[in-house]
Order: sequence, then C-alpha cells, then structure tokens
Amino acid sequence: MTNVIEIDRLHYRPGKGFALSDLSIHVPAGAIYGFLGPNGSGKTTTIRLVLGLLRPQSGRITVLGDQMPADAPKILARVGYVPEQPHLDPTLTVAELLRFQAAFYPTWDGARAAQLLRQFDLDCERLFGRLSKGQKAKVMILLALAQQGDLLVLDEPTDGLDPVVRRDILAALIEYVSQRGAAIFISSHLVHEIERICDWIAVMDDGRLVTEVPMEQLKNGTKRLRVAGAPATLGPTPFALFAREPDTAAAETWVVGEWKPEMAGYFPGIGAALQEVIDLDLEDGFVELLRSFRAGGSEGSA
Amino acid sequence: MFRVMLYTQWKWSRLIILLGTVAAFALPIISLQGAARADRNPLEAQDLLRTVHSWGTLYPVLAAALGLLVAMAGWAPDHRGRHVHALTLPLPRWRYVLLRCAGGAVLLAIPVAAVLAGALFATATATLPPGLQGYPLALAVHFGLAVALAYAMFFAISAGTARTAGIILGVFGALVVVQIVAGVANLDVDLMSPLQIVVLGSAGPFAIFTGRWMLVDV
Repeated sequence: MTNVIEIDRLHYRPGKGFALSDLSIHVPAGAIYGFLGPNGSGKTTTIRLVLGLLRPQSGRITVLGDQMPADAPKILARVGYVPEQPHLDPTLTVAELLRFQAAFYPTWDGARAAQLLRQFDLDCERLFGRLSKGQKAKVMILLALAQQGDLLVLDEPTDGLDPVVRRDILAALIEYVSQRGAAIFISSHLVHEIERICDWIAVMDDGRLVTEVPMEQLKNGTKRLRVAGAPATLGPTPFALFAREPDTAAAETWVVGEWKPEMAGYFPGIGAALQEVIDLDLEDGFVELLRSFRAGGSEGSA
Repeated sequence: MFRVMLYTQWKWSRLIILLGTVAAFALPIISLQGAARADRNPLEAQDLLRTVHSWGTLYPVLAAALGLLVAMAGWAPDHRGRHVHALTLPLPRWRYVLLRCAGGAVLLAIPVAAVLAGALFATATATLPPGLQGYPLALAVHFGLAVALAYAMFFAISAGTARTAGIILGVFGALVVVQIVAGVANLDVDLMSPLQIVVLGSAGPFAIFTGRWMLVDV
C-alpha cells in the first residue's frame, strides 16, 4: 500500500449550492499531508467523506487499502480523528472519556494515554465540558493518539488555540509520526503551521482541488519574477504562470510555479530579460495560487 | 463495550431512574393504603377497588414518562455532538444503536422491578376484603410492557433528526387543527375518535396503556 488515502474522481453535492467535483487526492503512507484552503472550500466535507460520515454521489474513496464507506468499521479502527469542533460528551470526565474510548479500540494503548495525560497536564477528574478550549483540543488529540492508529485525520486541530498549546499539540503529532510511521492528514487554513510540519500539500478552493504537490516543490517552485521586454502574447511556458502584472513602464512582475533555475534560459528565447527572481513564502505562494485558480488557471504551462 | 455504554447512560439518566424507581415502588403501596391495617378499619371491597383503580391511572403515565425521558437522555449527548463521535467509532451503526437501546432497556428494568417489589410488599402487608385477590406479578408485567413500548417508540423518534420529530408532531398537530376547524364550522368530522380506537383500542399498538391497572381485583 503506497497511499493511505486515495480519492478518485469524487463527486458530492449536499444541496443546491456547494459541490465537491471531480476530486482526486492521494495521501502517501507515512506522510504528513497538509490540506489547505480558505474557509468554505470543502476541506471538512472531504474529511467527512473520507471518514464515511457522508456518502459520495460518485467516485471512489480508499482508506488504508479498504473501501469507504463499505468497510467503515474496519477502517475506523485504524484511524484517529480530531474534528474541528469538540464532539465529545461534555458531561463525562476525562477519565470516563478515556475508558469509553478504550473499550472500542483493540489497539488502545493505556500507558501512552497516561503519558499524554501527564505531558498535556490534564486533570482526569474534570468534566470535558468544563475544560478550556486548549484542554479540550488536547483531550481529543490524546484520544486519537492513544488509539495507535495508522492514520490520523485532523480537521483544523489547532484553530483558535494559543501558541503554547498549538506547539504542544504539534510536537506530540510529530513524535507520534516519528515513532509509529503513521500518516497524518491535517486540514488547516493556518499556512505557517502547515508549512512547518507537512511534507505534502493539497490546496482546495470552492470544492475543487487546485494542486497536490510535495511541500518542497510548492515552496521552492513558486517565485516572483521581474521580467523586461516580454511580448504581450506568450506561447507555452516551461513553468506555470499564475499572474502577470505591469510593474514599471519597462518591466512587469510574473508569479510562477514549478520554477527551476535552468528555466531562466526561456526568456532570451522570447526576446525578454529576466531581471530578478524573488522567493515567495508558502503563504504568498498559496495566495497567488488561489488568485490564479480563481482567474481561470495559469496562462501557460509546460 | 456494553459496560461503558451502560455506564454513560446510567450517568445521563440516573436521576430519572432513581425518581422513577421511588415512584414505581411507592405507587402500589399507596394504592393499597385503604386496605385493612392493624390500626384502622378496612375499606369495603367496592371502595378499595375504586381507590386502587384511581391510583392505577398513574402507572401508564409513569411508564410513558420513564420511556420518554430515558430515551431522550440516551440520545441527547449524541445530538449535542452531532453524532460525530458515535459515527467515527469502529463499529457498524446498527450495533451502536443496539447498544444504546439495550443500555436504556437495562436501566428501565430497575423501576419495573420496583413496581414488582412494591406490589409484593403492598399485597403481603395488607389484609384484603374477602373475594379480592392481589395480582402483583401481572401488574409488574403490564407495567414492564408499557415501559418497553414507550421506550421503543420514543427511542426511535429520539434517534431521528429534529426534522423527523417535527414531521411526527406536525402530522399530529394538523389532525388537531382539522378537528378544531371542523368543530368551529359545525362540520360532522370526527378524526380523533377513530384515531383513538385505532391507536388505543384493544387491537391497537398502544392498547397496553389502557385497560385496568389493578393491583387488587376480584
């Protein structure tokens, strides 16, 4: 099994407006896979489909080698899930929640749960409903990690948390992956967080997949170029051209993806001069990617 | 698995169960207060039957209330969490529902047992007028069936969405409105009587709630 999640030509339309259309995603085994997108782009819906909470109208979802939703119980026994909103019973204490969860998972690791309780400094006897937002997030992460699953699905797990709690949670996730070799599928709109921990990234917008690439490729391949003397109309380019804007009278700014240094040789061929190559961080790259996608795709690519 | 499910349901419904159990134990005893005791004269058989019959109307009310409240308490946390936790547990949905249903049913056995215990105690300590006999087991079975039916019905309704509950209430409300409008317009339309016969009549699904709830009878 090379991919822990494979979504193939998925279509889901819950009502008249929003739809996931022709979505294909591949999450490699052992990867920390970031699922980026603005609010309302379809990240949570995709996650619910992956977990069998929703049923697609068409397409195929394979998780850990089994079909979802047909094999849901088998798959869910190996998947830890942390939703965006706390979903646990607020009237149970942390200890009761642990006992409840342990009864359903044959791979439950009680020693690991106890260690995480200490690490997260959680009080076992407190009601879940009385915990702070950060403590609730820690309990949900604890439950997902102590299940010892092969895949963690996290839907904006650190959204709205303070930096200390966020750091604690991310550290626990990274430790888990390094110890177990499990994969993590993490959705977020916090680009910097994704940038720090993920090795693959997918970007969603309006129910469609914008791109799915290794993190390094997106980070290193997205550049802002200052170009002088370029013709108004371009043929195919060796890179993805996201945006082209006038800069000064003589030069213009191009935002490109899939950039490699050897592509500089393209410019003399069209009678233009490449004056400067500027690195973009992931957030700038993400914004440019979305802007280009919304404008109808790149103007030319290899 | 069932143990933790039962524990959570006990935590959510313990107050209902405890109050229901006290009421279920007390009801048969109170209903036989008019029977002979060492310290006062007994009621006549006819008066005693009338008293027992009056108190008997509370059994179906208690059964329906217990079924309703335990069913609602069993689903309330799942509704609050939008069922996300339940649906992401690694077991088929029908099995989760079965575990929830069984948990509530086990808890409801406590007030049913309390009716039996109360009825046995009441009949054992009372001196009945000649010609009358105690039926503690029959009363407890009657109560148990009524609780089971109420629980099953409300469990099914509570398991559904608010929309489902709204549709059921809407249909019932529409019938009431039609009946009222027909009454105001002096139309000879009677929807309630046939409905009552169908639902509560001897062959109806809720016939168990009607009839005689007599701890003591001829």
